[in-house]
Parts: sequence; C-alpha cells; structure tokens
Amino acid sequence: MNLDPKVPSGPLKDKWSKHLNDIQLVAPNNKRKHDIIVVGTGLAGGSAAASLAELGYNVKSFCIQDSARRAHSIAAQGGINAAKNYPNDGDTVWRLFYDTIKGGDYRSRESNTYRLAQNSNEIIDQAVAQGVPFAREYGGLLANRSFGGAQVSRTFYARGQTGQQLMLGAYQAMMRQVHEGKIEMHTRHEMLDLVKIDGKARGIITRDLVSGEIQRWMADAVVLASGGYGNAFYLSTNAKNSNVTAAWRCHKRGAGFANPCYVQIHPTCIPVSGDYQSKLTLMSESLRNDGRVWVPEDKDDDRHPNDIPEEDRYYYLEEKYPAFGNLVPRDVASRNAKLVCDDGMGVGPTGRAVYLDFADAIERDGRDTISDKYGNLFEMYENITGENPYEEPMKIFPAVHYTMGGLWVDYNLQSNIPGLFVAGEANFSDHGANRLGASALMQGLSDGYFIIPYTVGNYIASNELDDDVTKGHEAFDEAAENAQNHIDELLNVDGDKSVVEFHRELGQIMWDKVGISRNEEGLKEAISEIQDLREEFWNNVRVPGESSNYNKYLEFAGRVADFLELGELMAKDALHRDESCGCHLRAEHQTEEGEALRNDEDYSYVAAWEYQGVNGELQEELHKEDLEFDFVELKQRSYK
Amino acid sequence: MSKEMTIHLKIWRQDGPDQPGELVDYTLDNVNEHMSFLEMLDVLNEQIVAKGEEEPVEFDYDCREGICGSCNLVINGQAHGPKAMTCSCQLHMRNYEDGDTIVVEPFRAKAFPVIKDLVVDRSAFDRIIEAGGYVSVKTGSAPEANSIPVEKSTADTAFDYATCIGCGACVAACPNGSASLFTGAKLAHLNRLPQGKPEKDERTVAMVEQMEEEGFGDCSNYAECEAVCPKGISISAIAEMRRNYMSAAFAGEEA
Amino acid sequence: MPSFLDALKSQVGRKILTGITGIGLIIFIIFHLIGNLTLFGDAQAFNEYTYALESLGWILYVLEAGLAIAFLLHAYIGISIWWNRRQARPEGYVKYQSKGGPSKQTWASKTMIFTGIVLLVFLVIHIDTFKFGATDTIMLNGHEARDLKDLVIATFQQPLYAFGYTAVMILLGLHLGHGFWSAFTSLTMKHKEYSSVIYTVGVIFAILMAVGFLFIPLYIYFAGPDAALISY
Repeated sequence: MNLDPKVPSGPLKDKWSKHLNDIQLVAPNNKRKHDIIVVGTGLAGGSAAASLAELGYNVKSFCIQDSARRAHSIAAQGGINAAKNYPNDGDTVWRLFYDTIKGGDYRSRESNTYRLAQNSNEIIDQAVAQGVPFAREYGGLLANRSFGGAQVSRTFYARGQTGQQLMLGAYQAMMRQVHEGKIEMHTRHEMLDLVKIDGKARGIITRDLVSGEIQRWMADAVVLASGGYGNAFYLSTNAKNSNVTAAWRCHKRGAGFANPCYVQIHPTCIPVSGDYQSKLTLMSESLRNDGRVWVPEDKDDDRHPNDIPEEDRYYYLEEKYPAFGNLVPRDVASRNAKLVCDDGMGVGPTGRAVYLDFADAIERDGRDTISDKYGNLFEMYENITGENPYEEPMKIFPAVHYTMGGLWVDYNLQSNIPGLFVAGEANFSDHGANRLGASALMQGLSDGYFIIPYTVGNYIASNELDDDVTKGHEAFDEAAENAQNHIDELLNVDGDKSVVEFHRELGQIMWDKVGISRNEEGLKEAISEIQDLREEFWNNVRVPGESSNYNKYLEFAGRVADFLELGELMAKDALHRDESCGCHLRAEHQTEEGEALRNDEDYSYVAAWEYQGVNGELQEELHKEDLEFDFVELKQRSYK
Repeated sequence: MSKEMTIHLKIWRQDGPDQPGELVDYTLDNVNEHMSFLEMLDVLNEQIVAKGEEEPVEFDYDCREGICGSCNLVINGQAHGPKAMTCSCQLHMRNYEDGDTIVVEPFRAKAFPVIKDLVVDRSAFDRIIEAGGYVSVKTGSAPEANSIPVEKSTADTAFDYATCIGCGACVAACPNGSASLFTGAKLAHLNRLPQGKPEKDERTVAMVEQMEEEGFGDCSNYAECEAVCPKGISISAIAEMRRNYMSAAFAGEEA
Repeated sequence: MPSFLDALKSQVGRKILTGITGIGLIIFIIFHLIGNLTLFGDAQAFNEYTYALESLGWILYVLEAGLAIAFLLHAYIGISIWWNRRQARPEGYVKYQSKGGPSKQTWASKTMIFTGIVLLVFLVIHIDTFKFGATDTIMLNGHEARDLKDLVIATFQQPLYAFGYTAVMILLGLHLGHGFWSAFTSLTMKHKEYSSVIYTVGVIFAILMAVGFLFIPLYIYFAGPDAALISY
C-alpha cells in the first residue's frame, strides 16, 4: 500500500499556495466532459458537490436520506472555528493550527492541519455570503464565543444550531446547481460498492432504497463524504442512519482505513433510560460551567439526590482535579464518569449516570440567571427525561460522539486508490487522536469548498482515463453482483434474532471494551466476542421483507454486517496501539494523574489498515505513515 | 420506578403509492413512560419481526433529536402529536395514559405521495428550494465576512425563519394542504438579508410558482401550520411572501 | 416575472384579491348597517335614505356593479380554494384535530365555504325581496318614493323571514369572525403584536355586525307593527 502523503515541500505556511501553483488545471470547456460522483450530502459532500458543479463538472450526488438537507451535519450544535481574530485577542492561523494539533495529541499530519486553519477564514466568508445567519453584535458585525481547548474567542455560531445553518447553506448551493442541471441528485440511494477499473475508482454501485434496484454509476472520480462510524457502538449521538457501509466497502476494495480506534466520547449526554433506547442526546458542554458533578459516596445509597447530605456526596472531579474541577477536558470528564460507575457509585435506574447539580449555582446566582444561561437546555432535558433540573440534579453520562479515524488520504484528500477522494468525517486527516470543539464543521467545509474542487481537478487533468469503459465493464458486473449477493445472503439467513439485537450486543461489547478506557485483556476479549457475534449474525439473523421494495430492516442489516467487521478492526487497532493518546486511553499507559501517556518514540505514525479478507477472523495488514513534526514541538498535555 | 402502560395503536399500513391503505390495530404492553414515540414503534417492529407474520411498519427517522426533519407522523390527527414545538421523535410516552388508543397516519398531501406505510415522498420541498431558495454565490467569490454588516435584529429574525427543518408538518396539518409556511419561511430568511436582496424578486416569484406547480393547496390563514411547526415559525412569513410576491410583479410591470 | 394580471391569478394573488374584496364588502356592510339603523330614526328617515340612494342614478349603478364584482370574485375565489384543497389532499385523515395554540382553526374559519355559500344564496333572496319587492308609492318631500320601510316591517312580521334573517346574520358573524383578521393577513398586514389586536377587533366587529343586523328583524317580529322604537 502506497502511503506517500504527497505533502508539498517548503515552509508550512507556503505549502498550500505552492501546491495550488503546481497542480494541473482542467480547461473550462473540458470540465463538462467529466463526471464526478459525490457520495453523501453533509457539509463535506454538499459543499464539494456544489463547488465542483459550479466549476462545470457533471456531478452525480447520492444520499441515503429523503433529502440532501437531512445529512447528519445538520445536528451539530456548538459552532465553527476560524482565525479571523475579530475580537482582537491575538488569534492567528498559526494559533488555530497549533491548538488543533495539540488538541489532537500530536497524532495528525502537520501540513493538513495547517491548511485547515488557513482555510478557516474563507469558510466564514462563504457562509455569510450564502446568508447563513450567524450571531451578530449590536453593531451588525459577527459575534464570537470561546470554546474548549483554546485561549481565544474564535468560534462563530448560530445559536445552538450552527450545523443546521451551515448545512442549509451548502444544501442551497447544491440545489442551485441541481436547478442549473449540473448536479444530478439521487436521494434515498445507498452506495454498496466501489468499482475499480485499471486500479482507479471509476464508479459505484447503489441500491435505490425505494425500489430496491441495484444500479451502476460511472464517473472519472469518486468523492466519498459519507460521515463517521460512531454507530458501531449502537448508542451514540449520531443519527440512526449514520453508517460506515460506503467507507467500509471502499476499504474492502483496497482503501486503507486509518486510526479506526480514535473515537471521541462526549461527557455530557442524557443517560440511557432502558433497553428500548435508540440513540443518545447531547447536552451542551457549557453546562459544566455551573453544574457540579457528583455521585453518592455509598454505592448502596438509594435516597433521592436532594435528600443526600453534602458529607455523603463524592464530588470526584473537584477532588481529583482541584485546579480545573468540573471543567476538565472532555476525555478526562468522560473517563472519570465511567470509573465511578464501574465502582458501583453510578446513579439512576441503570447505574450508568452521574449527577450534574445546579442547586449551588441557583442558590448563588438565582434561578433567573441560570435560566437565562441554560433555559433551553433545561427544557430539552425535561422534555426527554420528565425531570426538572431546577428541582433535582440532572443525570448525565458520556456517549460516543465523533470518530477521528477514517479512510486514509494524502494531502490531496485522495485515498490510496487513485480517483477515490475522501472528505469530512469519513477521512482521518486533520484531528489526530482527539478533535477540538467547533472543528468538525470547519473541516467538512474546508474539504468540500476549498480542497476537493482543486485536487479532483488536478487528478482529472493529470490522469488519462480509458474512454472506452462502459457500465457493462466486467468490473461493474462483478461489483453489482457482489452487492446483490450480499443482500440475498442477508435475506436468506432467516434466523430468529433481529438486526437490532445484534447491533445492540455489538454496541455493548464496543462500549465496555473498546470505549472510554481500553486494556489489552479487554481488547482481546472484544476481538473474539465480535468474531463470535459476527458468526452468529450470519447464521441466525432475521431480516424481514424483500429486497425489491422499501425495507429499512434490510438497509440496517447491511450496515450492521459492516459494523461487525469494523468493530473488530477498531479493537485490533486499539490493541496494536500500545500507548495512550488523545481519546485513546490504554489503561496500561497513564501518567500518575491518570492522563494519556503517549509513546512518541514508537507510535508517532498513522496506522493504515489494508483489508485482506474475513475468515472467521478479520484479516488486516498494518501499514504505517510516519508523522513528521518539523514545525511544532511535541509536549505532554496536562490539566492539573 | 418508571411507569409501564398498555397502548393500543391504529397504524396506517399501505404497501405502495397506488395501493389502498388501512388502519391496522396493534396492542403493546409494557410501554415505558420514558420511551420516545419512535422508540415505541421500534419495539412494536421488533415484535412484528419476532412473530414473522407481516412486515415491520415503515416510518422515516434519522437524528431523533428534532433537527433533521425526517420524522413525520400524524398522531391522533395532529402532525407530530399533541405537544407544541416538538417533533415526533421528541414526543415521549409519558404524555399518554395507560390504555390509550393512538391513531398514527402519514403526512397526507397530493404533493407528498405515500411510499410505504408512514413513509412519504417530500421531494416537492427540494424542488421549491431548487427554484430559488438560495443566494447565488459561487465558492470563492465571497467578500470578507464583516464587509456586510447586518443589523442584529434583522439577523435574529432571519434566523427565526431559517430554523425550518423542512419536515412538512405545515402541509400535513393545513386543512388546505398548503406549503405556504415552508416557502414563506425560506423567503423570509433570505429576502431580508442584504446578501439575499439582489435576487429577492426572482426568488420570490420562482418559489411561489413552484409551490403552486407541485400541487399544494391555497393558504386560508388558518395558522394551523404555525401551531404544528416544531420550530414555531410564525405565519408572518406567509404575509411577507405575499407582499414580496406582489411587489415583484409590480416591479416587473414597471420595467 | 409574471405580468401583474398573471400574478393576481396565482395562489398569492387570489388570496390578495380575496382580502381586497373582503375589505370592500366589510366597508359595504358597515354602511348598509348604518343605513338600516335609520329605521329607528324619524318616521321617514329610512325611506328618505333609500330614496337618496336610488336617486344617485348612474353612480348607484357603478357602485352596484362594483359590489357585484366584489361579491362574485370573492365567492368564486372562495369556491376555487375549497375545490383546490380537495385536489391537494385527495385522501383525507381518518382522525384529524387542531393543535390549538396559535391555530386559528375555529368554527368560524372551518365553515367559511358553508357560511359563504349561504350568504351568496341569501343575497339573491335579499335583493329579490327588497330591491325588486313590490312597495306602495308614497310622497316624500314632494316627489314619489318607494315605501320600503313598510315592506321591511311587513316582511319581518313573517316568522320565516324574521328567523331566517336572524340565522343568516349569525352566519355572517361567523364569516366575519375569521374573515376580518384573515383579510388583513392576506393583505400582508401581519404583525407580532398588532395581529392579535386585529383578531380581537375582528371578533368584536363580527359580533357587532351580526347583532346589529339581526336586531332589526327580531325586534320587528317580537315588538309587532307598533314597536316603540320605530316612529310612524
């Protein structure tokens, strides 16, 4: 596997402009001769499709939702970072880059992360011009707020719906191109395979989710923007339909899967209330500014929280981290919540929750002040749980939120398969082992608006593609047949256990052993349990209905089948990475304070896995791209 | 301890767009009060799959936190159920009593044909946006963001209209099956911003015409759309749309 | 850009026209009611008023033509909106209910097509009864005039007319109850605070109009030919 990152030479700040000077262009009148497939219509896919179509390419866009506007980027709450330095607090592109690479615990590629920071300002310009209603000051200019992991205010926001507003901007730009006839939009279509001809990506196979028809699509290049794989855990803050299938099928066609074990877990989510739970809802992290986290000291204490006196409460974050207290970073907060629950001190019906208590804040600042700050969140919490956070403490628990790993890409966002580009959360590129808040929206749009349009053009201009290839090519036949067979196999098992049960069991294994904290023994168990579960799946799953019409259970069955393979790879990757870094905490490697202890000597690389087959066990070959840090100095993070 | 209930459901089952549909009765025991409405349907489907006699009930959903706009149920005759400013996915069973009977139907409109059971095709909304619901700005051609100041109150009002999630509840609940609130909200978002002004007339006319072409009904100012809108968007958007449309037609005559 | 005429034919345009004609008709009935109330004035006030109207000559014809157009356009658009709604939702809900809150789905708004059609039919009868009804001729300030007052009083002695009119006037109130507010909204006058004021004013106006109009037949019927409020 060729893992040449193709990073341009020269100083960090000049790499991208040098690259833009060097890449080849497609003449305007030739662009209309080229077809490009874009899979996914979130921030990355939507912005890429719109921008490519504006340039004149014929874009075919695919999404599994009933409208491009519903891609999961829509659910992002917090904001988007940019180094505009509007507040005049000393922000620069370098600082944004540095915060991002440090936040990622030095496991991302310097050059990519720097370019992300460089593009950040243009994203804001673009979004504002599209009519995205960002928060503004009374003077009519844009407002900023601060976010975790930074000492400057650089986050632009649109109330708690920044993702939605940016998403609609990209969607509308796309719809304009649909109107112009430059984008052919295919909603309710799921990509099931990648078609490679002469080693290059030349098309995809999809299933029309309404008619069940297996369809072939050909193009000069394929852009994959299909999102992250957090739903391997069954319960996560991801939308129910978010899945890894498109990316995983590319992986099975030879695309390297990089750093699959890097999963971000968000500390403040509404806990699971029962077996029927289908997803988890994020509550803004800002709650920890005023809420105090605690559990009862005595694990058998079943008194109502309001009846537990101060001396019987364990304010574990305040006690363990006196300097940061309740405001420790996401990963530290998540880990400690799990620890106290593992020790039996967890609260609520499932014992998997901790209290987030506002009683002191309400007494100190008054109910009105707290309501001004968090009124909306309190209402949302009450709507979901039926409990009033003004009267009794909230219950919170961590949940899987974002996956930093993804398909390996070079500086051009091209995978190791020529012609297959990967953008947004689906690639691994910019966040290392941990993503800072308000960076996901930035990355999706940087990839889609400002990188893909250039690098895909460069690929098209500098590659001779065989013009005689048609959709009747044997590679298309083979891939289409493969997709159909996979569906038939799922329907033919005809066992007694539902897809949801398998997914839930996989999620439990992942959460317990490949979750917040991992260790060698647990990971080995996870690998073998996932293998067993996968075998059981293929012998005992029951998929109702038929393949020739709308059948959501069938869609899910295909996705769970892929998660059952990916899950094993995530565990394998976590097992092989015998260090802690960012969100990947191996219990064996912690500082005395319980922080992630990196091993830069041995693990300063990107782990890209090459699929070899599944034979009871998932066979994957490890390849390494060494990370070189020419411009930043590697340091140990500390939050004491 | 959380409350457990028995719930009787009458769910619309329809095999395809041209097939007749009917309400089918189901009874669920052990419905936990903390379940969301959709989680209750998940549980029902698990039972249906386990029995193996019929296909599970198809319904649309995705984010399950009230922002993607996928879910679309008419629950006891109300789009998204009885709670104001709530999507079907955020409606919880604690709003019901043991023994309740709940009728579940799809969003009904000619422009939203049923695909299967409770799943409908809302692509008409995409086509309304396609007609003009955007600002024509190519990637890369945007001016510096702060070069266009926008009055805070204007930006805030634009945001109120921009929160539309495109779920279609406005159409489903409107006695006339009108899409005026959806169309008006997008127009009210873009038309009032300086960025959206240059295309205001063309946008308004194109979107209004597309809305009519899709087969949505007229607006009779019932304001039921505002009542069911999960984001509480005001029908002022519709009044504004009318104003902008007529002034666009006037302006067209002048030229 | 559509021509202005085409714009008026669109959904938006038609609603604007409904609003304009609606406001026109509202103004008309205000004057109509004021005119009616002259029954309670001097002995010949009502007949003088009707005589004055009839002697407007061609101006009256223009006004009548305008009114007729407003009525017909208002009715035509109303009926076509009702027709469209059946097209827009061919298969109705098994169960349907309003969500309340800001919804203006009331008895009034839901029955606009019914109350509207009743008013249309009523109008024909009403014109036939009074405009073309046979009356005695009386001398009024030296010229001949129709004794419409006598016709009105005679007509409302009959229970069918008295109660029929009363019922229709209640329906008129219902129609105005939604129509008043709706016309303002259709004419794009929707405001965060003032709209609820307009709605309330609309409801009060509707009640005033209905009571004003139905008071006359009921009073005449119950008070009989020598009703105290009417001078002869």
